[in-house]
Amino acid sequence: MPKPEDFAILFDTSYCTGCRACQVGCKQWNDLPATETQNTGSYDPLTLSAHTWLKMSFFEGLDKEGEVYWDFVRTSCMHCSDAACVDACPTGAMNYRPGGVVTVDQDWCIGCRNCVQACPYDAVHYDEEKGVVQKCTLCYDRVANGLEPACVKACPTGALRFGRYAELRAAAEKRVRALKADGFSEANLYGLKEMGGTHVIYVLLRHPSTYDLPLNPKTQKEKVAVGWLSAGIAAATLGGLSWIIARREELSGGES
Amino acid sequence: MNGGEWGIYIVLYFWLAAMGGGAFLVSLLGKNPSTQRLGAWMAFFGVVVGALLLIVDLGQPLRFWHLLVSFKPVSVMWLGSAVLALDGVALFLLLLLKEWPRWLVWTAAVLTLLVVGYTGVLLMATAKPFWSASPLMPWLFLASAYTTGAALLALFGANGRVHQIALWMGIIEGILLLLHLVWTYPAAGRAVRALLTGELAWAFWGFVLFGLLVPLYLEARRQSPLLAAVLVLLGGLLLRYFVVYAGQIGYVI
Repeated sequence: MPKPEDFAILFDTSYCTGCRACQVGCKQWNDLPATETQNTGSYDPLTLSAHTWLKMSFFEGLDKEGEVYWDFVRTSCMHCSDAACVDACPTGAMNYRPGGVVTVDQDWCIGCRNCVQACPYDAVHYDEEKGVVQKCTLCYDRVANGLEPACVKACPTGALRFGRYAELRAAAEKRVRALKADGFSEANLYGLKEMGGTHVIYVLLRHPSTYDLPLNPKTQKEKVAVGWLSAGIAAATLGGLSWIIARREELSGGES
Repeated sequence: MNGGEWGIYIVLYFWLAAMGGGAFLVSLLGKNPSTQRLGAWMAFFGVVVGALLLIVDLGQPLRFWHLLVSFKPVSVMWLGSAVLALDGVALFLLLLLKEWPRWLVWTAAVLTLLVVGYTGVLLMATAKPFWSASPLMPWLFLASAYTTGAALLALFGANGRVHQIALWMGIIEGILLLLHLVWTYPAAGRAVRALLTGELAWAFWGFVLFGLLVPLYLEARRQSPLLAAVLVLLGGLLLRYFVVYAGQIGYVI
């Protein structure tokens, strides 16, 4: 669980207008170059990459009453408390920093990309020129100096807020109650239990699956435990079978 | 370097390490000392060349030593690099010694089994559904290690049991692959479709036909054992190729 005094970001989709100022602010502050994109209705990058650490994703459809909705969700690193990338990292380059922020030490990363494969939010990516991975730093250089992250600073509607975890979580819970009272019966909070609790929490108007957010993502520790268990059973089963096959062949006289 | 995905170096490493390690494990099922020594050489070669391939694949190859001064058993990547290094040492000692102490053979066997098996765990412990939606990756890789290992020994003149192991493990491998595709289809439909009819179909069907069915037919009829062995080995490469690439289809690394 995040500590009450940890840094946190609250994203409230009910305030978001999809203007993408956060996306531009992130690029500018972090000196990230533009990426070549194709027109798929807009020129937005389709996914995060080594040069795009934050993007807005757009979701449209019909709700239960047959009304058209067009919702926006922030796609970036969630700064998990039990982060898959941190557990997957073989050298400790990807790690928790004071305040619960997850960043990669660029001088220690070896570029194996195991964290890229492990992240359930697809938020870590490999920079070919630098030979190391890149991701949102929660603007650690800013927040450590008393400033808010660039994306929050750029947000014109208050859909993004920066603060201490306990305070923002309380605000988020209050907002969900207010939305429910306003008739948004599906309003919910995302990030309280996912990956040990994330330092970026979302107020959502609809079920998380509407926004392609992973439901109950498994921690790396769970996945690794299940993996080794399966491998152990496989080794015993297949090893035993091959031993039986070899014995049978020996008894039947074929031998090398 | 490639585009950042786990690419051809990883494919070659998975293939070589499993093939060499599998040969050593299969050779230990018999009592022939010269076959066992041959198996140990094959495993040693797989481990050393494999480790070099892994280092070349890093974004910062000169920092590979960061792995050796870290201790992170929860990271399958770290554990894999550790057992790879230890297995190299154990196999090297075996190759130096005329008489093999029992404990050293057991140590090398367990380490080799870990080297062959961790790769499946590595893929399972990702957020890529084709690798992680079923628990069968380690099973598939282990079965393939046995088939390719037995085929490699057969190619170098071993006979008898190695053909039986290649035959039965080949059948099991085919069943495991089918199970895996059915199991992961709901979560990883795009990857499965790429294998069946898409951009990886050549590798998938090439494996099914020439890496699995033809050698199984030849082995069952006890015909052209060398051709069967070569096909099994190439099939092992195709299997690693399409598994590694299918997992990353649609993702920017």
